[in-house]
Amino acid sequence: MIRKHRLLIIAAVLALVQIGFLAVMIAGRASILRNGHEVLLKVEPVDPRDLLRGDYVRLGYEISAIPAEMVAKAKRKERGADTIFVRLKKEPDGFWRAVSASLGTPSPTPPAEGEVEIRGTTTSSRSLQENTVIRIEYGIERFYLPEGEGKPIERDMRMRSFGILAAIGKDGTPQIKALMDGNEMLFQEPLY
Amino acid sequence: MPNYMSQLKGDVSRWVENGLIDQPTGEALVADAEARSPRSFNFGSVLAIMAALLLCAAILLLVAANWEAIPRLVRVAGLFAMILGFHVGGVWLKQSGSDALAEGCWLIAAAAFGGSIALIGQMYHLSGDPSSALLTWCAGTALAAISLRSSPLTVAAISIAIAWMVTRSLDDWGAVPHSYLVLAAMLWLVSYWTQSRPARHLILLSLILYMCLNAVHVDVAALGVSLAIGASLLFLLSVRAPEAVERIAQIGGRLPVHCLFGFLAGLALLQIELVDEGGRLALAAIATFGGITAALILAGRESRMLRWVAYAGFGLELAFVYAETIGTMLGTAGLFLASGIVLGIIALFIIRMERRLGTTAIRGGQGA
Repeated sequence: MIRKHRLLIIAAVLALVQIGFLAVMIAGRASILRNGHEVLLKVEPVDPRDLLRGDYVRLGYEISAIPAEMVAKAKRKERGADTIFVRLKKEPDGFWRAVSASLGTPSPTPPAEGEVEIRGTTTSSRSLQENTVIRIEYGIERFYLPEGEGKPIERDMRMRSFGILAAIGKDGTPQIKALMDGNEMLFQEPLY
Repeated sequence: MPNYMSQLKGDVSRWVENGLIDQPTGEALVADAEARSPRSFNFGSVLAIMAALLLCAAILLLVAANWEAIPRLVRVAGLFAMILGFHVGGVWLKQSGSDALAEGCWLIAAAAFGGSIALIGQMYHLSGDPSSALLTWCAGTALAAISLRSSPLTVAAISIAIAWMVTRSLDDWGAVPHSYLVLAAMLWLVSYWTQSRPARHLILLSLILYMCLNAVHVDVAALGVSLAIGASLLFLLSVRAPEAVERIAQIGGRLPVHCLFGFLAGLALLQIELVDEGGRLALAAIATFGGITAALILAGRESRMLRWVAYAGFGLELAFVYAETIGTMLGTAGLFLASGIVLGIIALFIIRMERRLGTTAIRGGQGA
């Protein structure tokens, strides 16, 4: 009888551990949406063949490629992916653009008023000196849509510029908040 | 062991007919063998697992469809309820004796966990690294396998790990994740605890796949040769010291089959690389034929499956050599002739060997 209950308890605890883990993931993301610093990023046209794969739209950003000279000298690995912190500044047209970047750790000087630091990962595999631009992924390169709704957006994206309203958490993790067509909000994400 | 059982029943009834043993002894022998044979093939269990896998696919696709008719929070809550319900319900079924249904429930719970990870990625547009989601799913499933001592869940965890390895090696240029070896070793240990022999078979096959993917990214010839040599050494070890190897591997004496498969895969890689180099290609082909023959002689008697792998490898190799080393028309003609003679000699050899292998089987009424 005890043994019977023990296995039931194990199963329930296992399920709760898995659910708890998933809930923490959700809570973390929701907290960035709720409390994060809002920035508007300009979406760059991407090769149309790459734009839509399955039911998400692939997004490239202006800040996905930044000039190498913008990066402050820092400890760096010879090859491979590296964390990078890119400082963004709001410009008169409303979009936020990169002003400087720091590899490995955030820049020691705190961001000024109207600036925010976003965290990304470099994807260029050669050493930085050889690259004139550094390609960066921020983890917000996909926008998922209900099945079948991607095509019209893909078409519009080729004709005019879109924006992504993102929230940036304390540690620099960005989180997509809304897809913007000019000033019109196409999809806004609820917290949960 | 349905094969063994049907053969034994045939043998026993003949022995009874011939008066070698009496009827009660025959029945007792069959009953004993039936009691000792591992869980026999059971359509109910197989269908239950297949049904569970279909439901798993349905769950994952429903999440992927991002169907707006169900609000997101309801989807999350539904998946969480399934994780809890199918885990606990599975235990309840297990305790009422329906093992297969229990395992099916746990598989669905594992799919609900994976679907939840996918749903969260979709809700928050995490482009991130899809492979890290697979790794998380694998960890969750392995944890469930350990907690519930479930063999199907162990196999599921390994399948997810393999999917992770393949996605990673397709995603990034030149990067098969070597940490897969660590993952495979850990899951191998889990398979002892969950008493999952299929899991160990799957891991061995995945290691061959790992070597092949590595070969494509790094150096086809070198890794092909290392795979073939490594597999041969392990083959010799498992044939020389079968008890010791079986004590560690616990794989039903099938390790030589995996080794032969690895050997053939390694030499296939090598030959694909050497396709334009006549002389060295011929050497590699001879090594293949030699290896297959050696495997048949050393272990063909014990394992029907090894014999079939050897035959299949032999046939494919022959077809490959036939198709690839054709140069000029004259060369082709010469090759046809040489292939014919060599094939004839080898066929004669194999027939003779089969006769040798079959001497016991012929008396038993069935050769392979």
